[in-house]
Amino acid sequence: MNPVDIDGDSEKPAKKSDSLIAILENIQAKFGYLPEDTLREVAAETGRSLVDIYGVATFYRAFSLKPRGRHLVSACLGTACHVRGGPVIAKEIGNQLGIKPGQTTSDKEFTFETVNCLGACALGPVAVVDGHYFPNMSTSIVKQVLEKSKLGFEAIEVETDQRVFPVEVSCSRCNHSLMDPGHLIDGHPSIRITISFGSVHGWLALSSLYGSYNVSSEYEIPPDTIVNFFCPHCHAELLGASRCGECGAPMVPMIVRGGGIVQICSRRGCKGHMLDLDGENV
Amino acid sequence: MQSVKSIEEFIKLSKRITTDRDLQIPTIVISAGTCGQASGANDLIRVAKRELLYKSLTERIHIRITGCHGFCEIEPSVLIEPRGTIYPKIGINEMVRIIEAVDQGRVAEDLLYTEPLTGQKIEKLADLPFYKGQTRTILSQNEKIDPIRIYNYIENNGYLALVKVLQKSDPKWIIEEIKASGLRGRGGAGFPAGLKWEFLANQRDDGVKYLVCNADEGDPGAYMDRSVLEGNPHSIIEGMLIGAIATGATKGIIYVRNEYPLAIKHLIIALRQARELGVLGDNILGSGFSFGIELVRGAGAFVCGEETALIRSIEGKMGEPRQRPPFPVQKGINGKPTAINNVESWANIPVIIRDTASGYSKIGTKGNTGTKIFSLVGKIKNTGLVEVPLGIKISEVVYDIGGGSVGDAKIKAVQTGGPSGGCIPASMFDLSIDFDSLTKAGSIMGSGGMIVMDENTCMVDVAKYFMNFLKDESCGKCFTCRKGTQRMYEILDDITKGKAGLEDLDLLEELALVVKDTTMCGLGHGASNPVLSTLRYFRNEYIRHIEDKRCDAYVCKDLVGAPCQSACPVGTEPWRYVAHLARGEYEEAYRVIRETNPFPSICARVCDHNCENRCKLGTTGSKPVAVRALKRFIADRVDPSSYRPVRQTIPENESKKVAIVGSGPAGLTTAHYLSLKGYKVTIFEADREPGGMMLAGIPEYRLPRNVLRKEIECLLDDNITVKCGTTLGKDFTVDDLFKDGFNAVFLALGAHHSKSMGIEGENSKGIHPSINFLREFNFKGKNLAKGHVGIIGGGNSAVDAARVALRQSDVESVTIFYRRSRKEMPAFQMEIDAALEEGVNLQTLVSPTGIIVENGRLSKVEFIRNELGKPDASGRRSFKEIPGSEFSAPLDTLIVAIGEQMYPYALDGTSGIETYKGGAIVIDESNLSTKREGVFAGGDVVTGPNSVINAIATGKKAAHIIDCYLNGKPMIIPAESRLPEVYVEPVAVPPEDQGITERIEPPALSPEDRKSTFAEVELCYSEEDARCEARRCLRCDLEFTQPEVEEEEFVEIGENKS
Repeated sequence: MNPVDIDGDSEKPAKKSDSLIAILENIQAKFGYLPEDTLREVAAETGRSLVDIYGVATFYRAFSLKPRGRHLVSACLGTACHVRGGPVIAKEIGNQLGIKPGQTTSDKEFTFETVNCLGACALGPVAVVDGHYFPNMSTSIVKQVLEKSKLGFEAIEVETDQRVFPVEVSCSRCNHSLMDPGHLIDGHPSIRITISFGSVHGWLALSSLYGSYNVSSEYEIPPDTIVNFFCPHCHAELLGASRCGECGAPMVPMIVRGGGIVQICSRRGCKGHMLDLDGENV
Repeated sequence: MQSVKSIEEFIKLSKRITTDRDLQIPTIVISAGTCGQASGANDLIRVAKRELLYKSLTERIHIRITGCHGFCEIEPSVLIEPRGTIYPKIGINEMVRIIEAVDQGRVAEDLLYTEPLTGQKIEKLADLPFYKGQTRTILSQNEKIDPIRIYNYIENNGYLALVKVLQKSDPKWIIEEIKASGLRGRGGAGFPAGLKWEFLANQRDDGVKYLVCNADEGDPGAYMDRSVLEGNPHSIIEGMLIGAIATGATKGIIYVRNEYPLAIKHLIIALRQARELGVLGDNILGSGFSFGIELVRGAGAFVCGEETALIRSIEGKMGEPRQRPPFPVQKGINGKPTAINNVESWANIPVIIRDTASGYSKIGTKGNTGTKIFSLVGKIKNTGLVEVPLGIKISEVVYDIGGGSVGDAKIKAVQTGGPSGGCIPASMFDLSIDFDSLTKAGSIMGSGGMIVMDENTCMVDVAKYFMNFLKDESCGKCFTCRKGTQRMYEILDDITKGKAGLEDLDLLEELALVVKDTTMCGLGHGASNPVLSTLRYFRNEYIRHIEDKRCDAYVCKDLVGAPCQSACPVGTEPWRYVAHLARGEYEEAYRVIRETNPFPSICARVCDHNCENRCKLGTTGSKPVAVRALKRFIADRVDPSSYRPVRQTIPENESKKVAIVGSGPAGLTTAHYLSLKGYKVTIFEADREPGGMMLAGIPEYRLPRNVLRKEIECLLDDNITVKCGTTLGKDFTVDDLFKDGFNAVFLALGAHHSKSMGIEGENSKGIHPSINFLREFNFKGKNLAKGHVGIIGGGNSAVDAARVALRQSDVESVTIFYRRSRKEMPAFQMEIDAALEEGVNLQTLVSPTGIIVENGRLSKVEFIRNELGKPDASGRRSFKEIPGSEFSAPLDTLIVAIGEQMYPYALDGTSGIETYKGGAIVIDESNLSTKREGVFAGGDVVTGPNSVINAIATGKKAAHIIDCYLNGKPMIIPAESRLPEVYVEPVAVPPEDQGITERIEPPALSPEDRKSTFAEVELCYSEEDARCEARRCLRCDLEFTQPEVEEEEFVEIGENKS
């Protein structure tokens, strides 16, 4: 079986008893494809023949034996997308990138594939680029979408974007403000917190813009590390009852001025967060 | 989260949550399933939060983020509770205004949903036609629940069904209840769920039994499971818990497909919260009952939706199905008893327990109880998820809920059941939607995909699409499936490429039946359905591909070539002359136009341009290339003498004489092409100069007379004699022509006689048949329209009459009265637009019932209002009168334009030429021959009022057929697909123009300037604009003409596997 790691304890090493699919999924997640030497190692460790492993790896569409590009472009060719012109979109994407489905551009920027159905049939024809859905695609915007993907869809113009706005927060224990007007991030006072991980203690400053993930910290935090957060005033640990929807790590609650609670994921690099305005929080 | 230790404690919690909430606080509900998020719901959420925070409204207005509400077409949408106001397609700025309105306790009227048919604003979700016809037992929960908050589920009676069965502590009762409810598996096959559970419960208890939720929703076009998983994951957990108690199962597994990231995320959160609260895991609510659920992600293989393949996949192996029996309930995962149910089945379980079996089974029909969710997608106006009672008619779903087709194209079929299903034609839309009826019709219920197809969907291509899918997804275990799907695909591919013969259809059918009979799992059994059902209902489309090499939906690329060329009745190559124009080669462009069409200047003005209607730019989201305006630029600029048609000298033809009756576009074209072959042609024209309807009917502001006359003059040569003022039936008969030594006769006398309405008083003063009205003006300059003018009809002659009347001096107002809606008007849409711009009024859905005459002159016309009914089998909407809606309109002039036909006196009974009751001449369409030998007919006299370009096409065909006839050759026109052949090097687009995608409209007189004059309305492009517009062409031809382009097969599914 390949159960999903519900509690976010991703440090767990692959066990012999794990199913092959789960092992391969982990490898695929790590490298973006299944490298041959890794598959040979899997064969040696699990005692399965390489033929078996190759069989499973090529049976399922999720696995790739070739390295993928930095950006993954999928064109949906499900029935609904097909009748609404999906093949034309797929062809235009192929033309723009100069590759066929299943291939990767020579500069390793893009991998392009077609998929059978993404379940977003009402929006057809649909394309997905790096996890972002583009509904009602037309050939004329393909180029634009591909170019934007190079910049990253998360990129925001802090000054002009209406969707980004500053919030003021305070400690969920002592209610002391956590804002630090002396340290600006994104042009606004940052949120100052004390953190610890491993044997390291130090400060962390977060952008107070809801929608910006910019931080600076005293010590560099290795990616994926779960960090403990403390109030710099009452020194209590900021610990909530809930876990991150994205990765399962504990959430860190703070009180929002104006009403409500914001929670951010304690894992470095995870963008999981929740803003509850009515405070009716789980 | 604090865990709940006992049933009593849970009931207390549930009561507290339910009573604590204040239902009167306005709540902004934002639908943020995958569809919502893709359409921008996340932005709305941020902006809403910002507004509430900054305006300190967090206490007064609440916000709830939910899964999909089903009406995907209007995403991103916002629902305001408790009022029930729905705001469709909301942007960031509208969100701000909505919050303002909610705060002030009012409704932002202008942002409400507008019903497309009536133009009415509708405030409440429940009143939208899309929701009205539904019974949303399962899906309505989605609006009420934030899926990542378990308390929100509990607030809506969540886990109370679990409490009920825990308290009852009687597994047999649960199974009896599920059996009594009549619930049939929603995964597709419809096996009774209660029976399956009973089998599992009866398995000898040796410790481990599995329950599986099959969430591997692999059917392309179906996504209802995704919506439930994303929007209400706890309902599935609760359903599985009840199932576990009933069957004694010890482990639960949700097998969800990897392509649903949001569903996986919400499930993970829901499972975690359920365990933390104590409703899942060990000693649930202190009852001693334990059950855990694990999530397993599929790795992308369609066949894993089949239960035995799914089991193999859960075991970590290749997902190949195996023979049954033993059935999974006997030997499933790791050899242990396993019951597998679909997502939607599980979601129904808590409902049945809560509402009791007898309450549940009241919905639906006998043997098909409850509701079923369908994903209504494809060529339909209201796309989305539709939950309806089983037994509802297809037509109710497609037309009432779905709102019918998106554009003007008619709906021709729905495809149900995914790749193992079939296509049901529009003529069978009265069919009841239930497991058994659909199977009988050659399709299946399947998981509930309902893909609507219209005239622009090619059914052969659909069959090929599914077969391509199936050949890739066939696991390969059964030879007949592996090889059979492959071979069926190859045959279908040959058909779409024009390479197949009729005998291939028999082979296809035989193969399909073999695959059906000799395969092991559902994939193989159903694999033939797409082929068999399309062959059964759409065989004519297959035959058209094979015999005529035509794909009428313009889908099959190897038959269509460049769509503009394929669409043109005379086979003009628009891509070619547009390419020359872009390069500045105007004379070359003119020769390309003139090669296929003797009337470049006329068609540049009045053609209904099928080429533009089919232009790939237009069908893929942009506006089509302005082909007609570009033709006008060329025709205006280049002297016709740059093209000299070659007249052949064929001695045996010179002695043969052909008579052509009528000098409209059909007659003149025939004369021209016969003349080029050396025949002597005489044209008999009733009017005083040649031109036919182009002269008598088309107004001068569309077609200036000097242009018309010049073009006709160019065609007449030594071989052609025109006799004007001679009328068939008055001055001569067909017999006379043969007596005079003509060897063949072509009847192209057009339809110059207006039909009458059959209402008393129709011959009174002030009432004119439209053709008479137009002729009197066009030939004699008479202004027959006076005062308030009414036009009855919706065709081109009605609109022409209206626009001519508007330009006459004594006219105060002009109104067109049409019996159906604007969408159904047969006139060219751009002509209707132009008429309305000039100030013509349009009243639709009215029929005339009476004429009131005062002092011997028309004074009023009585009307009754109509309403539109459902589309008939042809897809056109019928209409019926609304009793009591009579009204009258004072009118001084009435012009009747309800259709035209041949002069009734043209042919008498002795001619030997058969006519239909309506006056049209009966011909053999393949060779235009009438019932009398040597007499052929074509143009409006056969088809009724039609376009100039179609008349020219008939004229060309007639010339070819008559040539064959006179030479004793078989009268056939060989079918061939017209693919682009000539390579024209594309012009380099200057960098500053590269972003230009907007169509440049040709200049035109403003409505103010033109409505009082007969000067030509549409003007000619400047050279710069023309070349710029020409560069927009996508050059579909290059795929066929560019030498180095290899055969491109890459837009195919399944090649993305490494």
